[in-house]
Amino acid sequence: MNLLLENIKLALFSLKANKMRSFLTMLGIIIGISSVIAIMTVGNSLKEQMNSEMFSMGANNIEVYVSERTDKDMDTYREMTIDDLLTYDIAEDVCETFSEEIKYIMVSRTIGDGKAENGKKTANIELIGTNYGYLSSEDLNLLAGRYFSLNEMEEARDVCIVSDIVVENLFGGDMEAAVGSRITANLGNKEYAYIIAGVYEYEMDDSNILMGLTTDRKDMMSLAYIPFRTASNIVHSEKLGVFSVATESDVDSDKFTGRLQKYINDMYYSRNDYYNVVVFNMASLVESLSTIMGATTAAISVIAGIALLVGGIGVMNIMLVSITERTREIGIRKAVGATNTSIRMQFIVEAIVICVIGGIIGIILGVLLGILFTKIIECAVAISVSSIIIAITFSMAIGIFFGYYPADKAARLDPIEALRYE
Amino acid sequence: MNTNTTDSEKVITMRGIVKKYFIGRPNELEVLKGIDLDINKGDFVAIVGESGSGKSTLMNIIGSLDRPTAGTYLLDGIDVSSAHDTELSGIRNQKIGFVFQTYNLIPKTNALYNVEMPLLYSGMPAAKRNERAKELLEMVGMGDRMDHLPEELSGGQKQRVAIARAMACDPAIILADEPTGALDSATGRLVMDIFHKLHEEQNKTVVLITHSKTLASECERIITISDGSIIGETKGGRS
Repeated sequence: MNLLLENIKLALFSLKANKMRSFLTMLGIIIGISSVIAIMTVGNSLKEQMNSEMFSMGANNIEVYVSERTDKDMDTYREMTIDDLLTYDIAEDVCETFSEEIKYIMVSRTIGDGKAENGKKTANIELIGTNYGYLSSEDLNLLAGRYFSLNEMEEARDVCIVSDIVVENLFGGDMEAAVGSRITANLGNKEYAYIIAGVYEYEMDDSNILMGLTTDRKDMMSLAYIPFRTASNIVHSEKLGVFSVATESDVDSDKFTGRLQKYINDMYYSRNDYYNVVVFNMASLVESLSTIMGATTAAISVIAGIALLVGGIGVMNIMLVSITERTREIGIRKAVGATNTSIRMQFIVEAIVICVIGGIIGIILGVLLGILFTKIIECAVAISVSSIIIAITFSMAIGIFFGYYPADKAARLDPIEALRYE
Repeated sequence: MNTNTTDSEKVITMRGIVKKYFIGRPNELEVLKGIDLDINKGDFVAIVGESGSGKSTLMNIIGSLDRPTAGTYLLDGIDVSSAHDTELSGIRNQKIGFVFQTYNLIPKTNALYNVEMPLLYSGMPAAKRNERAKELLEMVGMGDRMDHLPEELSGGQKQRVAIARAMACDPAIILADEPTGALDSATGRLVMDIFHKLHEEQNKTVVLITHSKTLASECERIITISDGSIIGETKGGRS
């Protein structure tokens, strides 16, 4: 331990004595490590970004939407009309037909932005019609009242679920008073009256913070949910552009996607020559993107690994030069009692110190570069801690691997020859 | 030979030491041809000989840098002739203090570190090492230049640091190879005085290897070596 500490001190000392040479030796390690870390940081950030985006889009969901047929005559084209769209009935049929596989389906219809009014008091809302599945997927934290009843859903009653912000603005925060009260949703040109069925806790959206929106809480726009059929009545349409399907967890979503697509197309789109339904599985997209990114990262890492190898050879080369230069020193050390082992250790430690310092500089540089690139492609920075630990360990291993041969050569020097060396 | 000493006080006992190079080849060379040598504790011995006489080889063997091809060598009771590399390192560390003609200080490290070095290899903790090294440098009159680098010191000063280093582990013998060879006569005198002081005040065993008859004449015993054999021993002594 004593000797190890002394050797580290000695190694630092010898690095200081040959600053330029030490720096050039480290350069290979610095470039290698920093490129690995930079790539890892960018890759990690992209992956995190992708995951969070996919998650917010519902990575576990299957999307069903209408698209132009790919098997039709290429020369003909017709604009999509309202008749080509899906309907709520199709969604319900799917749900019943595949009740084994489907947990719930999610449909929604955005009506628009406006104000919730109770007398003169107002709050910003966005009115959205949803079915039961959609509400479930929103995972709301209900503070007061209840969800819509089945009756209210089916019969398109004028009920709503609003956020606590609305209650704060309209009822001074009194939840009990709010539930069962009538409010008016003023969407500029039209007004609708709803009875509050429930109040949910508004959760701050991270994207608002990221975008630097510093709206006061009372001015925040929150969603006001109404039953899907109620919303359909407003727009006088049962049509749907898209709906999502949440499957039971034990369902193979890739296989199910195909079955679902075939079923809907056979049942509802067999006579439509221009449009049909596409069932899109988000999870499989995420998976394939991850695979591509993983492969890219691996490929670049191999190149960075080659840079590290070259760096390691550089370290070995300089260590050999250094040992030749210090032959006499080695002789002196042996004459005063240094064993072969302690000489070997001295030079291995020196090689490790070079590599680890190079590694640390490389990590700092790599993280900075990674942050820079991540900022350029505008995504949140996620530094990969595991890659930093691997980098440190790896540079230490390079030191041991490429330092051993020169150190062993030094250890085996004949003290008499070494003392005579000019 | 000094008849007043008993065997227990012998530091070096050599019997039939032979050193051959290129063994079994046409150019086989016998450098030492059966050396018998006894050195007692507290002796001040000079080994003199022309270059090529084998005195450097003898010095390497005495200093445990090399092993004899044949013969036995006991240093302070330890059989050096059969010791392996790690044991030899330990012997050099504990029993021998080398002083070289060219000082052989480690460049770019200060006087203090150079003196501490043998103590480092002996496993002494840092604080004790530092204290001991300072003490030794004070002893050779280098107490005010402990943090100087070798390149900032004169030849005589370097040799004094080297003597302090040789004394670090309190060795059985000090082995000096032409210690004044690179110094002018005044500085050389100073260095020799330190050896005499160590010999007289601390009863150190000093073995001086030189080709200079005048330097040898200061020592108690003068052993002359020629063509690989000891050809005679005379008494010397300071006037």
